[in-house]
This record gives sequence, structure tokens and C-alpha cells, in this order.
Amino acid sequence: MAMLEVKDLQVSYGAIAAVRGVSFDLNQGEIIALIGANGAGKSTILRTISGLVKSKSGSIRFADKELTKTPAHKIVALGIAHVPEGRHVFSGLTVLENLKLGATLQNDEARKEENLKRVFSMFPRLEERITQKAGTLSGGEQQMLALGRAIMTDGKLMLLDEPSMGLAPIIVEEIFENILRINKNGTSILLIEQNANLALAVSSRAYVLENGIITIEGDSKELLVDERVKNAYLGA
Amino acid sequence: MTTFLQFLVYGVQLGSVYALLALGYSMVYGIVRMINMAHGDFLMIGALSAIFIAMGFSGFMVDGRYPFYIVLAIILSAMILTGLLGVLVEKIAYKPLRDRPRMSSLITAVGVSMFLQNFPRALPFIGPQPRPFPQLFPLIQFRLGGVVVTSTQIILIVVSIILMISLDAIVQKTKFGAQIRAVSFDKDASLLMGIDTNRVISYTFLIGAVLAAASGIFYASIYPQVDVYMGSWLGTKSFIAAVIGGIGSIRGAILGGFILGITEILATSINSNLGYGIGFVILIVILLIKPAGILGKTEIDKV
Repeated sequence: MAMLEVKDLQVSYGAIAAVRGVSFDLNQGEIIALIGANGAGKSTILRTISGLVKSKSGSIRFADKELTKTPAHKIVALGIAHVPEGRHVFSGLTVLENLKLGATLQNDEARKEENLKRVFSMFPRLEERITQKAGTLSGGEQQMLALGRAIMTDGKLMLLDEPSMGLAPIIVEEIFENILRINKNGTSILLIEQNANLALAVSSRAYVLENGIITIEGDSKELLVDERVKNAYLGA
Repeated sequence: MTTFLQFLVYGVQLGSVYALLALGYSMVYGIVRMINMAHGDFLMIGALSAIFIAMGFSGFMVDGRYPFYIVLAIILSAMILTGLLGVLVEKIAYKPLRDRPRMSSLITAVGVSMFLQNFPRALPFIGPQPRPFPQLFPLIQFRLGGVVVTSTQIILIVVSIILMISLDAIVQKTKFGAQIRAVSFDKDASLLMGIDTNRVISYTFLIGAVLAAASGIFYASIYPQVDVYMGSWLGTKSFIAAVIGGIGSIRGAILGGFILGITEILATSINSNLGYGIGFVILIVILLIKPAGILGKTEIDKV
């Protein structure tokens, strides 16, 4: 039984169809990737799963619950943590306040502490800067904070939107090491990446999105050597 | 010198009224980026409802005065009533327009303001004529040097300051305050943290309207005459105070309120006509030096 099941999803912004009938699924513990060019509809799919955007038709089922009619803040409570494109940290709040906001729905104080420790063990730099305003962090640190905040929500599924965007290669490496650690701790991951090489390297399966529909899907290892994917996305 | 100190007392007293009202403008702007043109009318509703609640409690009067706990009950119920009205206005008039162009909600707010002024005016038991405000606070005079301070003034200033300090503490220190600040920075990201942003916005309107009611009761206790239009010009002045201090900033609203109240009284003491214009002069000067207001942050739109 799939943990997340998206069926025939259609999303429009006014008259413009952004997602035109997309179906895919994700199993417990998996990392799957959505790749594709700018404007292919990747971010829209994530935003619809987490409830920030309403779908036109189709269904999204997560742990046996229908999400398309559920308000965004309740979807978080079901266990979906979305790290949006461009990080969206609360710039005027401190690092610690940002992390604590991630635990808004967490009533178990011990669990909150435990998650905070996990975040600091993954990203020691955040612990050094707990009293600093999030807006003054570097891009890489903001991405770490956005991931840390998602860990604090204690989600079972993490939606990652372009975690490598605009970051130096060495920072990207550090971020992805920790994404793999998060996955090993039992969190499933749905990843969007412009950097298709990277996305296919860390995921088990992947879907290629073009103009709002899935054109290619399969095991990531196979897609890495697929001629169509290579020509269009891998720059080989 | 004594005259100056005497006027300073009046200034601080008027300043606390402006500051309490400016807080609502600032908080609402901070969280939904809209200027609630009807906010001043919450002050009038607060004062007006206090009159009627006080009438309802007139049976409790002892020697023509309300006992302390009745005064407290009158003020609190007027504040709660006005607060609920604030929540209702947001739900009915502003929420449906939240994702529309800002001009829509601005015009709606002007409409709400007209409604709040003219609906009570049309009610036969309220009407357009000013009505006297009951004396809720004791009027004992103290002489400090040559300066006369009344107990009403002391109560009013002290309670206002307590309200402001508690609000600031709630917003800066509590979990709920962090949610308010989070929503004001980024609504989508707040939803992704599991924050019920609609609820946070409702509470912000509640707090704003409650403080407006308090400022209305305090203002009417100094100048004991209430009519349905009082919220309009007091609202304009407090809005100026909020902009002077930096709209969106709580401490800015407080600072702006006191600056405006004190300078207005001092200017009036020189020439009674000067008082009306002085707010605008300060506004222009401050905006020339700091376009975002004294404590406001210049917003940088990120790409």
C-alpha cells in the first residue's frame, strides 16, 4: 500500500493549466524525485499536496486520508512537512524561534527536545546561531534552518522543493548528506530538483514532468542511462 | 516650567489614548498588510457600549458612583463586545477579499467605517447627538509642586502602559506571539508549520478592537462626550501616530502615539489652532528622514 497516492491531479491558476492529470505514488521509506524544466509543474504539485494550492480535480491520498479538501495547517498535522522553494524562513525571527514554530503542533515536550537535538546534531551551525535572526543567515544556513524546521514538525513525509537552489557545491553536499540521514531515520521524501543528476543519484524512483504531465517514469538507476533523460536533463 | 509639566501630563494622557488605538492599526497592518480604515470606529463603539452597559448597571450605584468592581465589569464587557465586533468585521468584510488586490479591502474598510458610524446614528436610542459619558473613575486631585494630577489621569496612564507592556510581552515572548510574528512575515510558511493563520488573524483583530475600546473609554473619561463620529478623527490621528512610529511595529505605534499626543498638547498650549496641524507636520518631517517611520523597517521585496 502506497503511503502517498496522487491520482489524475489537475491544478490550474486561473485559465492556465499548470498540472494536467498527474498520477504517481510513494511508498513508506522511499525517496522519489520529480524532475523537469522550470514551469513543468513540479512546485505546483508539492504546493497542492501540502494544501497551499487547491486542485481542480483528481485525488491525493496520504495514509488513507484525502488531502484535496483538507486545509493546509491540518495537512501538517497528518505528517507532511513541506520545505518550500526559496526556504521561506521567518526572516525577522531568531533561529530558535523558527525551529520552535516547526513544533507548533507538537504537544510532547520530550519529543520536541529530542527533535531539536537531532536538528542540532545534523546542523551544528544552527546551534551556534540560535539567537541570530534568520534573515541574517547565509543561503546554505537558511536551507538548513528550513530543513530543521521541517524535522521539528515531526512529519512522516517530507516534500523538498529545490534544496540545492543557489548553493555552493560543498554546501549542497552537506545538505544532501543530511537529507539521506533524515530518510534513514524513517522519513519518506518527495524531492524536486533542477539538478537531475543529483536527484537521480539519491532517489530510488523518479518521474519526469513536462508541461504538467508525466512523460517518463522508472527506477532512478535506469533513468540515469535513459537516452531521453540524458539528452534533456543530464547535459551529457 | 510648572505649566510645561502640567501640559506634559495632558500630553501623556492623550498620547496613551493615541498609542492604544495606533496599536490596532499597526498590528492589523503587520499581519494582513491592510489599513483598517474602520479601526477608529471601534473606539467609538467601545465608548458607546460602555455608556449603555453603565446604564444597565445603574442599579448598582452607591451614592451616585459605581463601585470599583462594577467599573471593572463595565469596562471589560465593553472591551469584549468591541473585540467580538472586530472579529466579526474581519470575518464578514475583509476575509473574503484577502487574496484580492489591496484596493478592494481598503475600499471595503471605508465602507465598514461608514456603516459603523451611520448604523448607530440611525438607531433611535443612539442617534447623532453627543451623549455624556458616565464618570467611571474617581476624580481626586493631587498637587505635585504646582502640577495638578487627577486620579483619573493616573489610572488611565498606568492602565494604558500596563496594557501596552503586556501586549508587547505577549507578542515577543509567548508561543502565540511567535505565531503572530510568523504569520506577519510569511503566511504560506506559517501554514506549513501547522499554524491556523485564519485563527491568528482573528485574534489580531480581537486584540486590536479590545485595545481600541479601552482607548475609547479612556478618551471619553477625559472628554466626557461621545458621538458616533468621534472614532473618525481620533482614528486618523492614531493612524498618523502608527505611521510616525513605523506601521507594523508595536513599539513604534506606542512611541508614535506618545510623540503625537505630547506635541499636540504642547502645540495647542501655544496656539489652539496649531494642535490640529502639528501631527501632519511631524508626519512629513519623519517620513522625509525615515520613510518607514521611526521604528519601521524598510521592506525589501525579495526575488
